[in-house]
Amino acid sequence: MAHRRGSALLVAPVLVLSLFLAGCPKRPATTAASAPPPTGAPSSAAPSTGGETRGGAMTPTPLAPATAAPSTTPPAPSEFRETDNLKDVFFDFDKYDIRAADAKMLDSNAAWLKTNDNLVLIEGHCDERGTNEYNLALGERRAKATMNYLVGQGVQANRITIISYGKERPTCTEHSEACWAKNRRAHFLVKAR
Amino acid sequence: MMRPGRPLGFLVGLVLLAALGGALSSPPAARSQAADVLLNVLATGAKKLNIVIPHFTVVGGPDAQGLGKGLSQVTARDLTFSSLFSVVSDVPAIPPGDPAAVRAAFANFASAGAHAGLQGVLTLRGDRAELEMRLHDLTSPEFRLIGAKKIELPATQTRRLAHKVADEVVLQFTGEAGVADTKVAYVNSGSGSKELSLMDYDGASAARVTSNNSINLSPVWSPDTRSLAFTSYMRGYPYLYRMFPFENRPVQVLAGFLGINTSPAFSPDGKSVALTLSRDGNPEVYVLNLASGAFRRLTTYSGIDTEPSWSPTGREIAFVSERAGGAHVFVMDAEGANVRRLTQAGFNTQPRWSPKGDTIVFTSRQGNFDLWAIGPDGSNLRRLTAGPGNNEGASWAPNGRHLVFQSNRLAGGYQLFTMLADGSEQQPLTRAPGESTSASWSPRLP
Repeated sequence: MAHRRGSALLVAPVLVLSLFLAGCPKRPATTAASAPPPTGAPSSAAPSTGGETRGGAMTPTPLAPATAAPSTTPPAPSEFRETDNLKDVFFDFDKYDIRAADAKMLDSNAAWLKTNDNLVLIEGHCDERGTNEYNLALGERRAKATMNYLVGQGVQANRITIISYGKERPTCTEHSEACWAKNRRAHFLVKAR
Repeated sequence: MMRPGRPLGFLVGLVLLAALGGALSSPPAARSQAADVLLNVLATGAKKLNIVIPHFTVVGGPDAQGLGKGLSQVTARDLTFSSLFSVVSDVPAIPPGDPAAVRAAFANFASAGAHAGLQGVLTLRGDRAELEMRLHDLTSPEFRLIGAKKIELPATQTRRLAHKVADEVVLQFTGEAGVADTKVAYVNSGSGSKELSLMDYDGASAARVTSNNSINLSPVWSPDTRSLAFTSYMRGYPYLYRMFPFENRPVQVLAGFLGINTSPAFSPDGKSVALTLSRDGNPEVYVLNLASGAFRRLTTYSGIDTEPSWSPTGREIAFVSERAGGAHVFVMDAEGANVRRLTQAGFNTQPRWSPKGDTIVFTSRQGNFDLWAIGPDGSNLRRLTAGPGNNEGASWAPNGRHLVFQSNRLAGGYQLFTMLADGSEQQPLTRAPGESTSASWSPRLP
C-alpha cells in the first residue's frame, strides 16, 4: 500500500488541491454538475418514504471545476451582498421557531423583498455551545424556518437560498448569554437577479 | 518484512481484564511465554508490568540524529501511555553480541525489580531502516527470549518503527496489538481558518492537510486509513468530501446537495458512509453506498436527525434526534428500522460507538458539556468527565481502551486530550497555535 508519511504528508495535500483546482474527473458524467437542481424550491414538508435513490446523487468522483456547475446551482455565497434593508431575526437556545417579535421583523423583510426583486441568501447561525454537527443541523432548521415564513408571506421560494454555518461564524465571540443570543440568528444577504 | 507474531495468551487477557478493568480481548490462543511473565507478575498483586528499555543500538551507519536513544524513548512513552507497563528507560544501550554484558545488564535490571527487558537494534540501510526487537523475561533465571521481531520501513519513518515495536510488545503480553502506530485527524484554527491536520497519536509530526481557507469540519477516517471524509465550505456551501492524505489523488465530492452535507461516518467495512443531508427538507440520516453512489435515507422525522455512528458489526447505527424533545441518542438498525432511545436526561449529542461494541460514548450537556458512556442497550450509564471546562467530541482508539476528546479546560480555547475509557488518566495532547477540535483517531496503520 502506498502509505508514505513524513515529508510526503506535506506534499500530498498540495498535489491534491492543485488537482482539485485543475479539475480532472475520471468519470465526468457524474460530478458536481449532476447535483440535484438546487433551485431553492422548498422541499416537501412531508418526509419522503426513504428507500434507494440515485437521481442526482453525487457519486464519489473527483470534484469538477466550478464552471461546470449547471445554471440551476445557486450562486456562491460570496456573490451575495450585505443589505441594511433586511434585518436579522433571533432564536432561543436550541430552538428554530420564529418568535412573535421576530415575525414582525420578517413581515417587514418580506414586504421589502416583494418590492425589490433580488435573490436572497438566508444564513442560519448558532451560538458556540454544542457540537459542530448538531449546530449545522440547527442552523439549517433556523434558515429553513425563516425561509418558510417568508414564503408564507408571498416571497417566491425560487428566489431564496439557505445556508447553515452552524456555530462557525459568530458575530460575537464572548462566552456569555448576551453574546450567544446575538449569534443565534438568521442573517440575510442579497444578490441582484 | 515482519515475522509472524507468537501465539498469545488466553489466560493473560482474562487476567488483564480483571486486574486493569480494561476492554482487552481474550482470543483463544495458546499461551505465550510473555503471557506467563505477565501472569506471574500480576499474581503478586502488581497492577503493571515493569519493563526496562535501554537505548537502542544503531548499526550500519553513524547515529548522527541520536536515533538509538530517541526511538527507545518513543517506545518507552508508548508503553507508558498504554497504562499496562511501568517503564524504566534512558538506560545506556547494551552492547550487542556480548552475551556476558547482556547478562550482567539484565541481572542488574532484574534485581532492581524489572520483569521484562526490551532490546532494540536499529539497522540503517540507505533509504530503509530496520528495527529488531528482542523481548526478554527477566523473572526467569536464564532471562529467556520471549519475543523477537524485525520491522522495516522507509528511513524517513523511523518513529513509526518505534511505535510498531511498542505495539508488538503490547501484543505479546495481552493478545491485542497496541495503538501507538496510529494517527489522529483533527481540525486546527492556527492558520486563521479551520483546516484539517494529521498528527501521530502522541501529538508528534503534526501537519496540515487542507489549505483552502474556508471552513473544514468533522474529519473521519476510512477503515483502511487511506482516506478522510469531511465537511468543507471550500466551494461555498457545506458539501461532504473525501481526501487521500497519503496519496496523489484528487479530493472527491461525496455529497453536494442543497442544504447540509455533514457528519460522515464510514461503515466498518469501508463500503458505505453514513451522513446527514437536508435535501428532503430537514436534516436526516442517510447511507451512501460508495461503489454505486446511491443514497439511502434511514430516518423520517420532521426535525433534526444527525450524527450517525456505526456499531463495529455494521448492523446498527447510533444517532442523535430531537424527536423526543431536546437532543437524545438513539440506536437503529442499519436499515433504519427498530429505533430505540438510549438517553433520557440532558442534551445528548456525538454518540461514538466503541470498536469493541459494548459502549457508546456521547457528549451530554447538563450545565457544562461532559463525556458520558452507556451500553447499547441503555444500561450502565456512567460519567467519564466532570469538567473542568467543557469536554466533548470523543473518538475511540482502535483497541477501545483510550479516547481522544476536546476540552476548553485550559485558557486559550479548545485543545485535544486523551484518557482511558473509564475517564482516568486525562492528559493533554495538543497545544496552541490555534484551537484543535473534532479529533478522529485512526485505525492501526498497515
